[in-house]
Amino acid sequence: MGWRVGVDIGGTFTDVALIDEETGSIGIAKVPTTTRDFTEGVTSGLREGLARYGVPPAAVSRLSHATTVVTNALLEKNGAKTGFVTTRGFRDVLELRRSSRTDLYDLFQDAPAVLVPRRWRYEIAERIDAQGKVAVPLDEGDVDAVIAAIREAGLDTVAVSFLFSFLNDAHERRVGERLRQALPGVGVYLSCEVLPEIREFERASTTAVCAYVGPLLTRYLDRLQGTMSDLGLPRLLVMGSSGGMFDVAEALRMPAMTVESGPAAGVIAAALVGKELELPDLISFDMGGTTAKASLIAGGEIAVTAEYEVGGAGHSKRWLHGTGHPIRVPVIDLAEVSAGGGSIAWVDQGGALKVGPKSAGADPGPAAYGRGGMEATVTDADVVLGYLDREALLGGALRIDLAAAEAAIRRVADPLGLAIPEAAARIVEIVNANMAEALRIVSIERGRDPREFALIAFGGAGPVHAAALAADLLIPEIIVPPAPGAFSAIGVVASDVKRDYSRTLYADLAMLDPARVAAVLADMEATASDMLAAAGIPSERRVLLRAADVRYRRQAYELTVPLAAGPMSRASLDALASNFHEKHHQTYGHATAVEAVELVTLRLTAVGRLPGLQLGRLPGGAAPARRRAREVWFAETGFATTPVHQRDELTVDHRLAGPAILEALDSTIVIPPGWIACVDGGGYIRLRRR
Amino acid sequence: MPDTLLGVPGLRRKTDPARFEVVKNALYSAAEEMKIVLAKTAYSPLLKVAGDYSCGIFDARGNMVAQGPDLPIHLGSMPDAVRAVIAAFPVVEPGDVYIHNDPYNGGSHLPDVNVVAPAFLRDQLLGFGCVRAHWPDIGSATPGSYGAVTEIYGEGLRLPPVRLYRNGQPDPDIERIIFANVRTPAERQGDLRAQIAANRRGAQRLEALAGKYGAEELLRIMDEVLDYSEQMMRAALGRLPDGEASFEDLLDGDGVIEPGAEFDEPFTVKLTIRKRGEEITADFAGSDGQVSGPMNAPLTVTASGVYCALKMIADPQSLIPPNSGCWRPVTVTAPPGSVVNAQPPAPVVYANHEVSHRVADMVMAAMFQICADNVMAASQGTSAVVTFGGIDPRSGERYVSYESLKGGFGARPGKDGINAVASTTSNMMNTPVEMLEMAFPLRIEEYSLVPDSGGAGTWRGGLGARRVWRVLGHEAHAAVCCERTITPPFGLAGGFTGGPMRLWLELPDGAVRQINGKGSFRAPAGARLVVEAPGSGGYGPPTGRDHALVREDRADGYVTREQEGSSNVGAHG
Repeated sequence: MGWRVGVDIGGTFTDVALIDEETGSIGIAKVPTTTRDFTEGVTSGLREGLARYGVPPAAVSRLSHATTVVTNALLEKNGAKTGFVTTRGFRDVLELRRSSRTDLYDLFQDAPAVLVPRRWRYEIAERIDAQGKVAVPLDEGDVDAVIAAIREAGLDTVAVSFLFSFLNDAHERRVGERLRQALPGVGVYLSCEVLPEIREFERASTTAVCAYVGPLLTRYLDRLQGTMSDLGLPRLLVMGSSGGMFDVAEALRMPAMTVESGPAAGVIAAALVGKELELPDLISFDMGGTTAKASLIAGGEIAVTAEYEVGGAGHSKRWLHGTGHPIRVPVIDLAEVSAGGGSIAWVDQGGALKVGPKSAGADPGPAAYGRGGMEATVTDADVVLGYLDREALLGGALRIDLAAAEAAIRRVADPLGLAIPEAAARIVEIVNANMAEALRIVSIERGRDPREFALIAFGGAGPVHAAALAADLLIPEIIVPPAPGAFSAIGVVASDVKRDYSRTLYADLAMLDPARVAAVLADMEATASDMLAAAGIPSERRVLLRAADVRYRRQAYELTVPLAAGPMSRASLDALASNFHEKHHQTYGHATAVEAVELVTLRLTAVGRLPGLQLGRLPGGAAPARRRAREVWFAETGFATTPVHQRDELTVDHRLAGPAILEALDSTIVIPPGWIACVDGGGYIRLRRR
Repeated sequence: MPDTLLGVPGLRRKTDPARFEVVKNALYSAAEEMKIVLAKTAYSPLLKVAGDYSCGIFDARGNMVAQGPDLPIHLGSMPDAVRAVIAAFPVVEPGDVYIHNDPYNGGSHLPDVNVVAPAFLRDQLLGFGCVRAHWPDIGSATPGSYGAVTEIYGEGLRLPPVRLYRNGQPDPDIERIIFANVRTPAERQGDLRAQIAANRRGAQRLEALAGKYGAEELLRIMDEVLDYSEQMMRAALGRLPDGEASFEDLLDGDGVIEPGAEFDEPFTVKLTIRKRGEEITADFAGSDGQVSGPMNAPLTVTASGVYCALKMIADPQSLIPPNSGCWRPVTVTAPPGSVVNAQPPAPVVYANHEVSHRVADMVMAAMFQICADNVMAASQGTSAVVTFGGIDPRSGERYVSYESLKGGFGARPGKDGINAVASTTSNMMNTPVEMLEMAFPLRIEEYSLVPDSGGAGTWRGGLGARRVWRVLGHEAHAAVCCERTITPPFGLAGGFTGGPMRLWLELPDGAVRQINGKGSFRAPAGARLVVEAPGSGGYGPPTGRDHALVREDRADGYVTREQEGSSNVGAHG
């Protein structure tokens, strides 16, 4: 037994979490993120964490991390010089996209971003038809010309995506082979290796994203891996967007898998808490400085979406085609809204009060931080209302300027004819409503009743706002984990090794030979086992989960239905069909048993389970006791003198009736009237409605 | 951050601002959720991947309170679809679902089928959900229902508002009539079920809101949402200068070559805008009378084009929630019997998108004379519809394919146009090549940008797209509906015209046949149909263009030669 260490690189802070595999006790360290070179922040965070808890590098059994390198490269547009090679006639596929515009009425909207400039898009004569047969043979002369052009342009990397390569990849592989041979320094990404799935734009886009961020990710991971080895730490694992770890080689094979590394980690940690507390149905709620994220865990399972968009102008909801680059890789299904502590409040021309989407960010930050911020932010409202201490936060490390917060709130209070506290209350109410929207997207929109879930609240501001959100959605219970501010890093530590594989196989389920399914599954399972072995997972800890994307024959979108383990038979395919009918009825209100059911994609999730963790209590770090009561505003009472408690003073099973404030080093928990908080044995604060 | 707007007098309303915001957003997300349900369950590529449908939440009087992020052409005219149901059925019961498509009774053109369902809290009617979806076929002599006929009776099945479901159960008689009249009934059944599922979701959301806040409060907020948009729209219009401006434009034709004529005859639409204070009128007096072929627009379709353009002009940052309230300060008039206010039995199928596209561009050109900084040059001005139908030799089953090709989005002062994206009244998606070829016996041999099709200008127009279809192993019955083959999209402020719409058929023997922009034709096995959508007009004189941008355009092959085109605007510009 040793220590597992996780690192989460956020926008402002790099968090390190250490968990003693034996006792389950957690250690955390927080250092500023070094955006110029993330390795520095990671190194100093690790040094600090290891030193603080007296952990020698040799005692670290596993080192995992969540990275924003890929997301940042896309946002800051500093990826590789990338080329794109495709079937003759289709060089513009990345630019033609899906042809709808993002905003119906925005006269001055920008054209959506394109990763590969038109001058670096190349065509090769070849064509596979819709049955997977060669309609036009590959023109090797065109390949020569493309090689010369790539060399001439001095490209770093190239994405290759031919039509129907998901049915027949011979041409794509041949071109890949020739490019790799002729251009040894150039990274080559093939769509049949990255994403063998239907829809040419989405497949090409995913491949181009991989090519664009690949070289940067390679340099970063190589460097970080080297530094970690120098420190005597073990081989690095990387957090994937679907909430599992894989080794560096896997990450480099498909860089798009690492886009939402950090947010995924928080959801993983939430699921772990659910398991520990035997609460299978949870909504995770993560509120930071600029955005809030919600995700649903039902029956202990994390929801994962198949489509995602990266590097765009920002989007609050998935699905709608926006301005970024679509990738089709599994990403933990998060709803993200522009609502955080730094979100700015304003009044629109119709006289409506709005909060966000603009944020004061870290610089200048909320007015209350006294760093020159003038605009009213959510944090300022929280200070005015007494949710946050009006003198200092973070155990005294962050001074609070109440007068500045009040002056900022006045900027919206005056035009609305409201008193300052009233305006602050409205701001909080609106930001809560915006965040409730995120919670609603992942619950009610999916046909899930939030009353049947517990809310797990984390991130710097999460526990301040959680109770109001829970009241709005009638969620009966809130869980605040130990160290909510570094909770995502804990998720990084806690994540299993995991990788998702998919293979397209179109067939009418009723006519399909089970042996065909078995053959594809066997092939995928062999690849998956090799990957798990390479990551050092012993065979007794490997789990392979099958699923199938199925739909009515004429539909375009599938539902993913689990597929039983073991040998494939007619009965297992029939069971798949009937499970699909049931799920369709449950999701959309109707099912048509007479209609043909079509298999589209076989999926395999390979999991290397890590030994189970017991999250123990956060060691040390109590905030110095400051004051015992302050004036806090609640809708039910207006301003009222409210007791303030320190988290560490509470013993197990201690009950605390709201209104009350519970403070810890890295967070404040607001307990409104009507709620009761208690501490359970695992160090969790649980709030229930009276 | 529009801090500078704080001085605008606020709306006086009863509901607390926070609750108002919450409920308003909930209504919009209900409409959006309807959209998702439809895409995920529909059967035809036109709906499931190309998104030719719109969803909305309506009040009990038929006002659209919230719309999905759908197609402005539908959104402007859908209130009439709900009002037609209200007029036909004074008593509405829980579990009812209504269906209709009559352009002369709340519809737009026959392929756009409206499904309307009420929402109730106990006995109280809260409002309606409405889903307007374009069915790839609604009967008639031509697969895809896009033939150049001369009466609405030839355009396909015409359904007045009828009750399709009672007590949550379908009326099998009505279903039988519908499915006997369309070419691919199994696919239509799937689409119809999807429309009903989407409506069900909308109604559930409305009912849940009423359950939470009380019906009275919800209905009051729905009224306030409309008032809020109206107030914001009035304020936005009020900030624009007053003025009066006219613009006249020539349309290609109606698809019917009159006896003795050699060509499809062009016709003229005239628009006069009068802007005073917070109100605006679009008057189409002086437009030509209705035409023989299906280029006749019901007034609701014409109005949709006006609404869409005015929303973009008055609210260019798109801050005002779009709903019926926005259109209250806008008046649209046109002489009955004119091509922009069609009367029965004139055929209408093309006009729905072709006339509304053009009207939107014309509003931009007229408003250019009043507020030159808030408009864009002409966009593609056509939906460039291409349909194929026949028997799929792979399965022996009948098929109908319907696609729309995109051209340029107009250049704006300070910004180039956008290449090959839906503009103004349209917002459909393309059908992925791989999905199209798996579904239909067609091969796409090219789908690319058309170099040099963006109108030259200080700000260059967007490029159009080219798409090439090869017909595989059968004779297809094809139809097209395109505009801008004769008058290319105009530039503004000295910007040049964009490239025109072009289309031709290459026969297996190598012969090339020009085809009319509208109408149906036979395409034998092995034939190639080549269609190029128009580029958009430029804004400002080409001499004003930044030299660096000129070099970039050349390097990327968006521009390959000296720009041709003209800076003439409109038919008599």
